[in-house]
Order: sequence, then C-alpha cells, then structure tokens
Amino acid sequence: MEGSKNTTGTILEEGESSTASQESPSQRRIFKVIVLGDSNVGKTCLTIRFCGGDFPQKPEATIGVDFRDKDVTVDGESIKLQLWDTAGQERFRKSMVQHYYRNVHAVIFVYDVTKLSSFENLPTWVDECDRHSLSSNVPRVLVANKCDITDRRVVSTNMGQKFAEHNDMPFFETSAKSSEVGESVSNIFLYIAKKLKAQRPHLHLRAGFGGISGSGRTSVRKLRLKSSGLRGFEPEKTPKSKCAGGCFS
Amino acid sequence: MSTNNKAHNFHEEDKDQPPGFHRNNASGFELHKRAKLVAIHKALQSDPVDVASLRKYAISKGGLLTDEIRRKAWPKLLNVNPFESIAKDANIKEHRDYDQVVLDVNRSLKRFPPGMKDDEREVLQDQLVEVIVRVLCENNQLHYYQGYHDICVTFQLVVGKEATVSLVNKLSTHHLRDFMDSTMDRTKHMLNYLLPIINKSKPALHDFLQRSEVGTVFALAWLITWYGHVLNSFRSIVRLYDFFLACHPLMPVYLAAAIVLYREEDIMQCECDMPFVHSLLSKIPQNLPLEKLIVDAGDLFVQYQPSQLAKEARLYYKESTSLTTYQSLEESSRIQRPDSVLRRLTRRGQGHASAAGRPQDSNRVIKVAVWAISMGIGAAALTVLNNALEFWG
Ligand SMILES: Nc1nc2c(ncn2[C@@H]2O[C@H](COP(=O)(O)OP(=O)(O)O)[C@@H](O)[C@H]2O)c(=O)[nH]1
Ligand SMILES: [Mg+2]
Repeated sequence: MEGSKNTTGTILEEGESSTASQESPSQRRIFKVIVLGDSNVGKTCLTIRFCGGDFPQKPEATIGVDFRDKDVTVDGESIKLQLWDTAGQERFRKSMVQHYYRNVHAVIFVYDVTKLSSFENLPTWVDECDRHSLSSNVPRVLVANKCDITDRRVVSTNMGQKFAEHNDMPFFETSAKSSEVGESVSNIFLYIAKKLKAQRPHLHLRAGFGGISGSGRTSVRKLRLKSSGLRGFEPEKTPKSKCAGGCFS
Repeated sequence: MSTNNKAHNFHEEDKDQPPGFHRNNASGFELHKRAKLVAIHKALQSDPVDVASLRKYAISKGGLLTDEIRRKAWPKLLNVNPFESIAKDANIKEHRDYDQVVLDVNRSLKRFPPGMKDDEREVLQDQLVEVIVRVLCENNQLHYYQGYHDICVTFQLVVGKEATVSLVNKLSTHHLRDFMDSTMDRTKHMLNYLLPIINKSKPALHDFLQRSEVGTVFALAWLITWYGHVLNSFRSIVRLYDFFLACHPLMPVYLAAAIVLYREEDIMQCECDMPFVHSLLSKIPQNLPLEKLIVDAGDLFVQYQPSQLAKEARLYYKESTSLTTYQSLEESSRIQRPDSVLRRLTRRGQGHASAAGRPQDSNRVIKVAVWAISMGIGAAALTVLNNALEFWG
C-alpha cells in the first residue's frame, strides 16, 4: 500500500485494526483526529482512502458524524488513529458535532482546489476550532484536495500555502482520487501520527486530554516541522510526478 | 403521468420482501397477503376513504404491500390531494439552499435502482432537486438539511415527481418539521427520547451506553432520513415509510430503540468507549428482522409513551444543551469530566422501571393505530417538544 513504501523508513502502515502490535489494545495509544471543511470537498473520500479503501465511486453526503479508524506503526510503536469525518453543513456542526470536538488530538482542514468558497470559508473553520478552545498544541494541518483536477482549478498552491503559513500549519496538496498527484493521502495521515507521537512521548491519552500547557506555540511548531524532515511547506513543483520511494525525504 | 408509470417500474415488487418475512412459510404469507390486499382495496374504495383502517394496515405486518397501493394510500395517510400541487417557483436557483441540495442530490446515486441508465437517473436527479427546492420555496421558514433528500427520493421513486411535491410539502410541515428549523436543537431533543426508552426496557444496556458516552448521534441519520440513508433495500425503506406515515413523529426514535435493544449482545461485548460503540451502532445491519422490530417499536411506544418519557428526555435535553454551551463546560471539565457530573444529574430520581406487562399481541397494532388516529397527523411533535409535559395525560 501507499504508506508502507519507503517513506522515512520509520513509518509503517499496519492495515486496519490489525493485531501486529505487541502492546495490548488497552495500552495502545489512541489519537483522535477530526476532519473539517465545507461540504463536498472530499473529507469522506480522504478518510476512506486512508483507512485502506479505494476511492469511493458513489460517496454519499455525510450525515452527522462518521467514524473510521486505522492502526499505524510509528517508530515501532503501534498507534490507533481515530478519524471523525464530519458533515459539512453548518446546522450539523452547530448542534451535533460539538460533542466530537472534545478530546481531539489533531485537526485536518480540507478545501477543494476547484471551489473557491471552500477555501474562503477556511477562517470560519479555524475560528470554530479556536472557539472550542482546543489546546494550541493540537496539531492542525491544511489539505488542498482534488488536485487531480487541473482544468477547473481555482485555488493556487500559493494561496493555500499562504493561508497555511499564516495560520501556522503544514500544508499538503493531494487527491483522494488519484495517487499520481501531490502528497499521498496516507502520508498526510502518517505525518500527523508521527507528529502526535513525537509531541506526546509518554502521555496516557485515554485518561482524557486537556491539552498540554501551550507556550511558545509558533516556535515549537516550526521547530518540529523542520526537525521532522517532512515536507510540509514545500510548494508542489512537479504535481504530475509520483514521488517514488521517498516522499518525505 | 409518465413519471408515475416510470416510478412504478423502478423496483420489482414482492420479490424482494423486507427481511423478517418468513419466506419458508410462503403459503401462509401468500394467504395473509391476499387477504390484506383485498382489505386495503376495500378501505381505499370506501367513501370517504377509510383512513383509520389504512393506518392499521400500514402498521401491521408487511405494511401497504405494493407501491401501487402506496401511491393511493400515502396521500390519504397524509390527508393531501396529490393532484393539487404547489406552484412552480421560477427561481429555484436563487434559494439559499439550492447549492447544497444539488451537491447532495448529485451524490445520491446509491438511492436509485442499480440497473438504471445514467441519463435516466440524471433526469430524475434534476427533478429531485426541483421537488426539494420547490417545497423549500413554498415554506420559507423551512431549512434544508442533508438527509432531507434521502426522504424525498423515496417518495419520488414511489409516487412520482408531482405527487412527491404535495406529499413532502405536507410532511415537511408536520413529521419532519423539527428537523427543518434553522438549528438542529429540536432534532437533538427528539433523539433525547432514545436513551430513556432503552433505560425503561433494559437498564443495564442503558448504563453501558451512558458509560461509553456514545451519545445519540449514531441514530441521527436514522431519524432524519427515516432510515432511507442507512438501509440498502428499497423494499425495507418503503415498508418503514408505511409505518412512519401512520404513526407519531417520534416513532423513528422508538424504532431506533428497538434496534439498539435487539443488538444488546453485540453492544455489550463492545469496548465501552464512544468510538467503538458509535462505530458499531451507526453501522446498521442490513439483515434486521424488520417486521419484528416494527412490532417491538410499537410495543415500546404503547408501554412508554412520549408523555411519560418527556420529563427524562428533557433532562437529557439539558444535558445536551450543556454540552453545546461548551464554555461553562470547559470550566467544569477542569475539575472533573463533564459527563460524570451530568450522568449523576440524570441518574437522580430516575428509578429503573420494573418491566411492565407487555400488551396483548392482538391489541398491539390496534393500540398503536388507535393512538395514531386520535393524534391525527403531525402537530404531535411540535406539541410534545414545545410544551405539554403531560400531553397525553
Ligand atoms: N476529482 C476528484 N474528486 C473528488 C476527490 N475527492 C472527492 N471527490 C469527489 O467530490 C465529491 C465529494 O466528496 P466527499 O468525500 O463526499 O466530500 P465531503 O462532503 O467533504 O465528505 C464526490 O463526488 C467525490 O467523488 C478528488 O480528490 N478528486
Ligand atoms: Mg462527507
């Protein structure tokens, strides 16, 4: 599969809820990741792709919140990513999705490069996260989806990157549909897994998560990005070429 | 009308009975069915139409049986004239929800019969958008929600475009009204009946669910689409629509309770943590014994009527409301997990009911039906949810 190809050499995909870990399931660390963005940007397709499925031919509108999970191995530790795929329509967010913001460990913002409004609405999503007083330590990433569509593209790489920089998060361009374009879907999620693991080496997450006291947010984040050696801010130079064997290096 | 005739041919009837019919008892079923068909036709042909009997048939085993009957009976159950359609609004594209409707309808491929040609389906999808937005234009107070399209498409495939406009127009101001507020607060309140019902019936299961903090969002799509979004079998969906059209707006919640109760064993074996329980519950098994569950839901309804539960539901409502007012909650969460506080509040004064005697089988359908008749359509939800704690006294 995508993720198991030689990335940094330390990240391995394990497949869905496998048993390959030495730890008992109750010891395995669980990270909760919420996926946000306007309706139709591809949140459902991205999470399905990551959890091992093919690009869904007939995805349906998400109603409320859908849950998917996936076990990944990062530096020898098996961890579980819980992905909460949310409905884009505002009404669901306002009264239903609240519950799911609790104890979130990472946030993925998604927009559709062929739909300007989905990009323009990003501040609303970011604000909302802030209002839910997510700890500033909760990693956030920005994902530009549907990069396989070139003829109808209206949001440039530059625009996305600027926004990401401004909001201090790494930026990925991808496509849930085609693995030929941008960063592979699994690498984005594995990036998050790696980051979470690095950020919380020993924490017991199941006991609830109030957030580690967040000082020096910007510097810490940038430092991590640099030291992680993962491509985050780098512009997409050759969107057509598949990064063979070493996307992250 | 050509759309009507087309609708008739979409789904082969009878071959694909809803799960729960005991097919090994084919002759018994055939006999039952034939007798019921005769009775339904009689009710339809009497003047005035015998709506009370139709209601009863819509609830009892097999429901209204064929789409041909549904085309005639559904309008009667909703008391609408399908030929009196609402005016076409010229500017559906200007409606505030138009774009969202298009997005959702475009993604609703699964709701159409698998064999249908693309161009044929696209015509229907365009019609579906039109139907939905016309109803929205007619009722400016109504707000589109994702999932509304799943309800509309079911009607479209059974009764055709124009009749769908009238039926859905009525339904939207009655059964579906609470879903169509600008916010989903009242929808959430309807869901708040779910756990009290389960609590009355199986307190241990209820406690497990509470402990897992699973909430009720797993049943959201069930409720607001009348299961159209989550069941694959079109036959099963229309069977349920018979049931719901004849019943109280909260009946989909009682059915949800019946489904959860039916899955008790699976649930209790699950790790008692929200994601796992949510995941298990939200994936609805496709082979549910639907006829049994309909009976169960009716039972639950008769035993634990909404008025009786209203108080507890309100308590849950408060719980959810406090969950949405996250700021104060964040405060309290520093001291302890909010849910444990709320759970204690909920628990207080909520003695576990001893299992009440089940109503006699023969009475059951009649009781549900009688109640449904006395209620008339709609109004119920609004009344229950807005004020009267003792609506049914
Ligand atoms: N071309 C292309 N289409 C996509 C991509 N991701 C999603 N889609 C399509 O966009 C639509 C919305 O996808 P969905 O995952 O349901 O969006 P969501 O509302 O954010 O969950 C669907 O019709 C998908 O087929 C992508 O990367 N490329
Ligand atoms: Mg979705």
